[in-house]
Parts: sequence; C-alpha cells; structure tokens
Amino acid sequence: MITVNVTVNGKKYKRDVEPSKTLLRFLREDLGLTGTKEGCGAGECGACTVFMDGHTVNSCMVLAAELEGRSVETIEGEAKEGVLSDIQAAFDRHHAIQCGYCSAGMVLSVRELLKRNPKPSVEQIKEGIEGNFCRCTGYQQIIEAVLDVSGQEGSKGELHYV
Amino acid sequence: MLSGFNYAAPRTRGELLDLLAAEGQGAKLLAGGTDLLVNMRSGAVKPRLVIDVKRVEGFSGIEWSAKDGLVMKASTTINDLLRDREVRERFPLLAACAHDLASYQVRNRATVVGNVVNASPCSDMAPALLCLGARARISSKTGTREVPFKEFFTGVKRTVLKADELLELIIVPAEEGGARGSYRKLKRINGHDLGIVGVAMMKKGGLMRIAVSSAAPTPVLVDGLNETSTPEAAVAAVRKAISPISDLRCSKEYREHMVEVFVRRLLEELK
Amino acid sequence: MFEQNESRPELHVGKSERRVEGISKITGDAVYVSDMAFPGMLHAQVKKSPHARARILRIDTSKAEALPGVRAVIIGKEFNYRLGLYVVDKDILAKDEVRHYGEAVAAVAADTLEIASEAVALIEVEYEVLTPVLSHMDALKEGAPLVHPDLGKYDYVPVFSPQAGTNIPNLSKLRKGDVEKGFAESEWIVEREYTNPSVQHVPMETHVAIVEWKNGDNITIWTSAQSPFTVRNLFCYTFKLPLNKVRVVVPHVGGGFGGKAGIHLEPMLACLSRKAGGMPVKLQASREEEFSLLPCRSALTYRIKTGISAEGKIVAQKMTMYWDAGAYADYAVNVTRASGYSAAGPYEIPNAWIDAYTIYTNKPYGTAYRGFGHVEFFWGLERHMDLIANVIGMDRLEFRRKNLLKPGSITITGERISEHSGNPTKCLDAVAKAINFGKLTPQEEARQKMTGRRIGKGIATLHKAPAMPSFTATAAVVKMNSDGSVIVNVGLTEIGQGSATAIAQIAAERLRFPFSKVKVTIEKDTDKEPYDWQTVASKGLILSGNATGLACDDMLAQAYEVAAQVLRANVIDLDHDADRVFIKHSPERGVSFAALSVGYAFPDGNAIGGPLIGVGRYVAQGLTNLDKATGQGLPALDWTFGAHGIIVEVDKDTGEYKIIKIASAFDVGRVINPDIVRGQCIGGMIQGLGTAICEGYIYDEAGHLLNPSFTDNKIPTAKDLPEEIESFAVQTAQVDGPFGARGVGEHPMISVAPALGNAIREAVGAELLHMPIRFEDVWRALTTKEPIDNWITKTPTGSCRSDPATRTNSPDSAAAP
Repeated sequence: MITVNVTVNGKKYKRDVEPSKTLLRFLREDLGLTGTKEGCGAGECGACTVFMDGHTVNSCMVLAAELEGRSVETIEGEAKEGVLSDIQAAFDRHHAIQCGYCSAGMVLSVRELLKRNPKPSVEQIKEGIEGNFCRCTGYQQIIEAVLDVSGQEGSKGELHYV
Repeated sequence: MLSGFNYAAPRTRGELLDLLAAEGQGAKLLAGGTDLLVNMRSGAVKPRLVIDVKRVEGFSGIEWSAKDGLVMKASTTINDLLRDREVRERFPLLAACAHDLASYQVRNRATVVGNVVNASPCSDMAPALLCLGARARISSKTGTREVPFKEFFTGVKRTVLKADELLELIIVPAEEGGARGSYRKLKRINGHDLGIVGVAMMKKGGLMRIAVSSAAPTPVLVDGLNETSTPEAAVAAVRKAISPISDLRCSKEYREHMVEVFVRRLLEELK
Repeated sequence: MFEQNESRPELHVGKSERRVEGISKITGDAVYVSDMAFPGMLHAQVKKSPHARARILRIDTSKAEALPGVRAVIIGKEFNYRLGLYVVDKDILAKDEVRHYGEAVAAVAADTLEIASEAVALIEVEYEVLTPVLSHMDALKEGAPLVHPDLGKYDYVPVFSPQAGTNIPNLSKLRKGDVEKGFAESEWIVEREYTNPSVQHVPMETHVAIVEWKNGDNITIWTSAQSPFTVRNLFCYTFKLPLNKVRVVVPHVGGGFGGKAGIHLEPMLACLSRKAGGMPVKLQASREEEFSLLPCRSALTYRIKTGISAEGKIVAQKMTMYWDAGAYADYAVNVTRASGYSAAGPYEIPNAWIDAYTIYTNKPYGTAYRGFGHVEFFWGLERHMDLIANVIGMDRLEFRRKNLLKPGSITITGERISEHSGNPTKCLDAVAKAINFGKLTPQEEARQKMTGRRIGKGIATLHKAPAMPSFTATAAVVKMNSDGSVIVNVGLTEIGQGSATAIAQIAAERLRFPFSKVKVTIEKDTDKEPYDWQTVASKGLILSGNATGLACDDMLAQAYEVAAQVLRANVIDLDHDADRVFIKHSPERGVSFAALSVGYAFPDGNAIGGPLIGVGRYVAQGLTNLDKATGQGLPALDWTFGAHGIIVEVDKDTGEYKIIKIASAFDVGRVINPDIVRGQCIGGMIQGLGTAICEGYIYDEAGHLLNPSFTDNKIPTAKDLPEEIESFAVQTAQVDGPFGARGVGEHPMISVAPALGNAIREAVGAELLHMPIRFEDVWRALTTKEPIDNWITKTPTGSCRSDPATRTNSPDSAAAP
C-alpha cells in the first residue's frame, strides 16, 4: 500500500492505495466518484478523461500511486452547487448527449480545449475531442454545443423538413 | 486489470539509477505510461517494480540553447514539446510528428522518450529524431554514453538499452534548427491511429534525409541523399532501406506503394 | 371530451424539448450497472477458450478453489440448463466442446477482481484442438464439420426452420410470381455477389450485470440489457422458474445497438451467486471480451440476380443470402428471417425468389445490430442497383425512381402499399437534390482541379420494418401525483435513443400539460413496469407511444368522471387545462387536478374517486405469420423509408478518400422531437460510416480473433465526420402511429456504405463488392489487383506485433501497440 494525499474537485483526500490501482478505479471505487467511466481500459476511447494538474489525461492510464500532491478534477466538480457549467448547459441545449457514457470525458475534453482556445474552429473542435469516442451522437451536436458555448454564430444545426 | 507490482518514485537521479541497477530486468520505467500500462494490462510486460521517473529532479521540461541544441528529458511529454515555441519555430518536423501521435489527452501524458524506448516500428517520434540526427544520452549507475538514433533501434521493440540503463536525454543538435521538414502518415481513419506507414522528410543545407516507420522491424533512416536527388533516386534509396510485411493492417505491396507515394509528395511539398 | 382537444395547436409534439435524463447524464449523476455495488458483492471473471474449436478433455479448478477469497468456481458440466432466444442451442458454459474463440469455459466469483483474475489463471483446461469451420460458405459444403451435431434435437420457435444434420439453424424462403419466367422475359440479367464481415456494436459501456440468487429462488438481476422482460422470460425458461420469482432491473444503459437485446452474462452470474450462497456477483466485460465473449453482427454473403426489362423495370430478382451466425443461433436466425422478407429493398418486384440461410461457424456468434440485417444486405442491394443502372445505361436516380414502391405497389410478401405507408421517392429526391446529384457544381469542379482528387456522388435508398412477432405488445401506466404532476411507466428502456423524452412529449401533449409536469421512469424494473416485449426494432415510438396516449386518455377519463360529480356536470361538458378540470361554458367552475389526483374529498369529509391511474395497452395490429414455403404474409407494423446521398473525394493514386457531404432523409411520419430525430439521423449515419470505412473482425486461419480492441478495430472519431451533414425529415403520417409518427432508430445506419461505394465508383471507377471500403481496397480495385480478403488471414502478425514475445493468443490480451 502507498499513501497518497490528493486533491479531487477541491477536496483533500488521504488514502492508501495498491500500486496496481489506476486513477480511474481509485476515483470510482475508493472515492465513489462514478461519473468517470471506463470504456476500454487502454487509453484509446477517452471515456475516463479527467484533469490532472490542469491537463486532461486518460485516468485508466494513470496509477493512483502517482497522485501524491497532485490535483484531480472530474465531472462531479463541473456543476457548482446544482448549477450546470456553461459547457454542460450547452450540451443539454444541443442534445449533445445520448447514452451518456462518453459525456463526462467529452465535457472535460471540451473544457481543456476552451482553456487553450476560447473560440475554436470546427476543425479545432474535432481535434480537441478526437480522443473521446462517442458511439451514439455522431459528434455533430457536440460540436454545435461547443460552437455555441464559445459564442460563435450559426452553431445550431437544424433538421430540415421536406 | 493491473496487478502484482511495486511502485517507487525516486526523487533524485542517483536513487533512480541505484534502483535500476538493483532491479535490472524486473523493473520498468514509468513516464507517461501510455505504452507501459497498456502492455502491463495485456500481460505482455510483467514488471516486479514500476519506477516512476516523473518525480526525479531535473527530469522534466525542454531546453534549447545554441550550444547544446534541443534537449528533451525523460518526462518531457509530447504536448510539452508541442507547446514549446522553440520547437515549433526551429524544428517543424519534430512538431509535425508529435502532432500526429495519438489523441490530445494521450499527448498530455505520453513522453518523447517513452515513444522511442518502446521501439515500436510504428513510432511517430522516431522518424523525426532520425531525420534530425538526434542522439540518445543513456545513463546507468556505471556511467553515461551517447548513441545516435540511427543506431538506437535493434529490432521490433528492441533497443540498445540494457536492463540497468535509462534514456535520460534526447538531444537534437543545434545545427539542425531551421531544417524544413514534413511528415506523412497513413492511417485507417482520420482520427487517431497507429501509423500504417509513416514517412518523414527533412531538408537543410543541401542535405536531405528520409525516415520511414512501419515498413521494417525498426524505424529506418535513409541518409546520403541531397536536395538535388531525383524523385527516382530518393524512391530507390527508400525502397532499398525498407522491408515491409503484410499484416492485418494492410498488405506489403500497399505499404511499399504508399511509402513511394509519400516520398514523391514530400519532395513536391518541400521543393 | 378530451378527444376534441386534438384540433388545438400542439404544445409539445414537433418541439425540441430537452432530454428528460440529460442533466443526470451530463453531470455524472446517472447510475449505470457498471457504477453499482452492493454489500458483500463478489466479482466474477471468466476463463475463456483460446481455440475456435476444441474438445474439452479436462478442467482442473482445484487450485482456483483453494485460493483465499474465492467464493465459487463453476464449469459447464455442472449444469443441465439450456439457453437460446429462438433455437435453444447454448449451455451456460461450454461443456464438451468449445465452439468459438473467447467462449466461456469456467467462471469464478471472488472477493475482489484481482483474486478472481488470479483464480481464473489457476484453472487448468486441457483441450484437444479440432479443425474449425470458419468460413460460412465452407460450412455449407458436404462433409464440413458440424458445429452443432445435435441441431435436430434442439427446441426452437416454430417460425424457424432448422435443418438437422447440417450447419443451418434456419432457412427462410420467399417465392413471389415466377422468377425463371421473369428472367426469360428480361432484356438484361445482372448477377453479382456482395460480402461483408462480422462487426462489433461497440457500445461505450460494455456488457455488465449483477445477479443475486437468494433463498427461495428469489432472484434479482441488475443488467445493462435493452429488454428487461426478455432477460426475465428467457432466464426463467432456462432455469424453469416462475416469472414472478425473477426481477430484472435496468438503470441507465450506455448504448446497446442491439448487442444488449438478448440474454448474455446473466445466467452464468446467477449460477455463481447460487453457488456462493446468494451473494450478489458482478461482471463487467472488458473491451476485449466485448468482442468475443459477447456477440457481434453476422457476416453476410449476398448473391443477387436481377432481370430488367427494356424499359428499365425490374422484372425478376433471385436473391440468396448466406448469413454467418457464428457458433450460436441467437438473433441470427431472426435476422435471416427479417432480411428474407425485406431483401428486395423498397422496390416493386413482380417476380421474387429468396433463400436466406443462417449458417453455424466456429466464430463468436452474431446477434441483433442496429438495422437487423439491413445494413448488411443493403450494401449489396444498393451497389447492385447502381451496377444495373450502369449496365443498362440508365441514370442511377431515374432507374431507382422507376422501380421504387408507390401507393398500390405490392411488396414481395404481398402487402399493398398505400399513400400512408411512407414515401421512398420523396426521400431519394431530397438527398439527390441536396448533393446536386448527377453533376459537379462549379465549386466542386474547382476543388477537383485544385486538389487533384476526383469527386463522385452516390445515392442509396433504404427501408426497414420492425422485425418482431405479429402479436408484439406493450402497455403504459400514467399515475397522477397529489400536486397534479404525473409519472409515466413504460417497459421501454432508455438506452440513449431518446425514447423517454419522446414518450414524455406524447404524454404531455395528450394531457395538454406542461412538459415539466411529466416524468417518464428511467430505471426499468420488471416487477414495477408494465410489460413491454423488447427495446429493439425501431418499434418503441409507435407501440409505447400509442399505449402512453391511451393511458393518458384513461387517466383523464377518470379525472373527468370524478370532476363531473364534483361539479354536478356532464362529462361531455368538461374541459381541462394544465391545472384543473372545468365546465366549458362556465370556466370559473372547476376543480383542480391536485384535488382529484388521489381521490376527491368534499368539504364535509366525504370522498369519491381514488388515485388517478391510467392504463393503456397496445398490440401490433393486423400482422400475420409468413407462409414457410412462400414467405407470403404481413410482417410489417410500418415501413420507414429513407435515402442517403454522399459526395466523396478520392485520391486515385492511393485509394484514400474523404467524405465531403452526406445528406440523409427519412420518412418518419411525424417528427416528435426534431433534435432527437436529428441526433438519431447523424449518430446512426456515422455508425454506418464506421462499418463502411474500416470496421470488421479479422481472424487467423485457426480462428483466433486478431483485432479485439480499439488498436486494430477503429471506430469513427470526431475527425471522421464528413465536412457537411444534412438531415431531412419527410412526414407522410402513419395512420396508426402516435401523432402520425414512426420509428427511425435503426434506419440512419442502413445504406450509408453503398452510397459511399456508389460515390467512389462514380469518382474513380473502383467497383467495390466488399465492405468495409478500406483505402487499400480502393487502391487494389483501381490497380486491378486481387481484392485483399484478410477477414480470415494467412498473415496474422503485424509489423507492430511480430515479436513472438509480445504476442499471445489469449482472449484476455489485446494487441499491444
């Protein structure tokens, strides 16, 4: 067992962890923060994306033992006291959600993107969420939500009637 | 699922090298973990001890000086490299290859050193480092040596590194700064994928180098060309250097064809 | 009464109400089975076969059992339970013989995942490796090894036709008119064969279940299943238990796409729980297990022979379908049946002949997948239509328009199409117009010139009816709370498709209540929800939507009846708004729903009425079984027609291509929620694109699956989107649909691949007969090299994997990059 002191969503935790425990399992099993999901366990799909020290990582590819002194942010820290963040509200408005399993990682990747690029182009949005697989939405409404939250015109796509 | 190993996070270079010397084959170095943890999960690698290099003082960051060139450390991530202005301005080929590696959140963790010590034939960083004449500074408890990258890879997933050795620094010579370069990578989708073949080209001061990934047991460098080499000469030299195989990703003949197409297109692009 | 309200402007139908479960999903609050844990819960792991076909000589579990923390170990021989959806051909765990790579041969429940995993490694299995039958075409040959020698003894649902002594668990036939006579009268005959491999659904949440088998056979199953009642009913069939002993609970589900339609991990976990003294046992499949322990979509070989008249009318079509079921029949027999009556597409064909075979092979088994066979056969059919148009020299759009079903047309099963059935021509015309089909615009000409890449345009039509029993039924219960808000219970699960929101809109519309007053339950519990057959087949909107409407009417009728007494009025003279029931001609005299909701109390304390609970029942109307010899009958609740148009840009030197635009149109009858319809249109289209461009199972010649992970089974990312996407809705009202609506959950995935294949053919002339269309496939077609068929390959080891030290054939190990 290794003792780690870690800040998660602004709260301090001290926990003993097995060396083999991933950050993903630590969050879900030890802290009960199950909003972060496992999609592949191999760093390919991005469902488990969280912030670590200010940048996104696939939490399935990080050991909990590495956490000493670090700061982690998860989807549970995104809404504040019941109020959705701007990104979450835009996802809700744009139907950028279907089964919801990729949503946590997707929202955090969008936050990372907007931090470095407040008005990303469509191409830049696609690149920003490239590492987050979504099998349901086809990504388009997610892209529109990001355009909207970054204050860009023409973000709303429409169903056309014949 | 991962299981059955110990974890150490040494704070100094000395502690790290001592641990490596003591553990030898049973130890694996953890930097970004984006290859190591995948291989541990699949059971391909079963270390007794995982040594985290990220806490070692002086092992992070990226440095540029006209004297020493560009120096990347054992914990320098791909995105560290891409965020660095010197890299973007002086080493566009390095940035091009780095940018094509995996996804954003993987690049936040994956390290340049990790990408080359893993020694996958489809390494994205190797082609740039080969073209730019980069050197590997290798350290162990018993000393330090430097190996040019064209001698670094010895086979599929094999390098010159011994069990007690660490690839401590990657050094790109200052004189390669300002070299023009570009990278073409064949993927199965537009999104992140391993290179099915990759071709990097660099031109500087009359010199031209080409490096190819996923077309031989190791990434390969084609040296001895110059800016006036004809496309035919370049293609012929590259063909001689590669030995692609057929696999589930594509056929040998398509790899050969695509390498040739990429060489010709890069010549056009960097005219 | 409230029926008259229907002439008023609609409040909710046709509006993009937010998803009812959106906030819980976007905040991480939504609980999936993978997030659940119970006191004392054990963790299961599975020992899987590394062979495609082998006799099990010996299993030694003693070391595993001795490991501290192990609570139960099970092997196949312990049980005599048989499982199967339509053909009862499966054991809980393989018994004497393993039939596919990755099949479960033993399972462990232990205190932790780590112990379970270690215990599995300690289980010794000795195999005698047998020669597998891998290609479904080989499995039909005389003398091929039989995957199920006992096929003749299995129980099966009588609408199917297993062929004893063969590898064929079902053969569906259709005969309409006289094809040979039709061919004799034809000006042209075009015949071709089209193929596609098995693919994986890839729900982001892999299959997961928790099962506890308590004393007295009180069993609870929490599972990521699409169809809780199907899990319950099949589970009870297998274990010979009364249905009221088994409770199946389905919370949020992280995508299904058909892969979670049947019963999968639950029986194995139940056996582990019983053996472990009733403790709850959980298993979530790894991504690698999702590819081979869990089912996939069947491969198909589709041969089409078409006779065409001098005028370009299809006179006769002979179709033979060879479906690769893999090791178990599961849904594949029903995919075969459903495809067997739809295989001609939305075309009028006077003389049709179909033989559709389901074939056993030693590969992971096929199940339902979005489109239920149609994605697969439309690849061939719509490539074939282009091929015919090119052969006979007719415009590809014109040829299709000429042959599409129209009011008065008779389908190949003998159904008469009416003006209410939907309009395939309108869909096709919409996409053709959206992509400027048949010519290049000046901008496209300029782009072609600039890039050197060739631009081509392709179109493809599609149709599908729900594949379901003729008597498919469902129900809804609408309950009013004492504040006048309502709760709607339906058995239909919310797996991402948006049904819960659509049902809430239908209820709010029918009640004329604000949307916020309606709650549709998300967690489905077979003890609490009214029966629903399954959440599959794009049938939920029509069936559950109608049941919901009826339940609302029923509840309002109860409210009106009590209100009439309270107000001393005739029911016929009452009306209501969001809050109260009132008398039409003196609206000031009314009574609030809150006062009526759980029984009305007069000022003196006397009470009448009772809780307002409306019930609606709905069963599919007018459908019949199909004649086994001719396939004639009425199988379709409704037909949703559609079309895709694609503009592609192809590099003719490399075969690489890029999709510039996709336009899709579907006749959905009536749009209930435009944003959800659009989400289905785009999401399904991209999923279809994945199978069109790169997805597919690759095996070595011993039957090992070589790409059971995202390393070598890529799925589309955001960067794989076409540059432009347009979605169109045609609204030809479905007479018996709620507000005229019909389903569109599966349809967007169908016919994306042939539209792409047709566009590539137009751009550079590559005639592709196999999907997916990998860049190399295009290049090979262009350079007239032999097509690469590496779906069962001689060269399994890749440049990145050719180091024997890092390569294993274990179903637990993914390809290491």
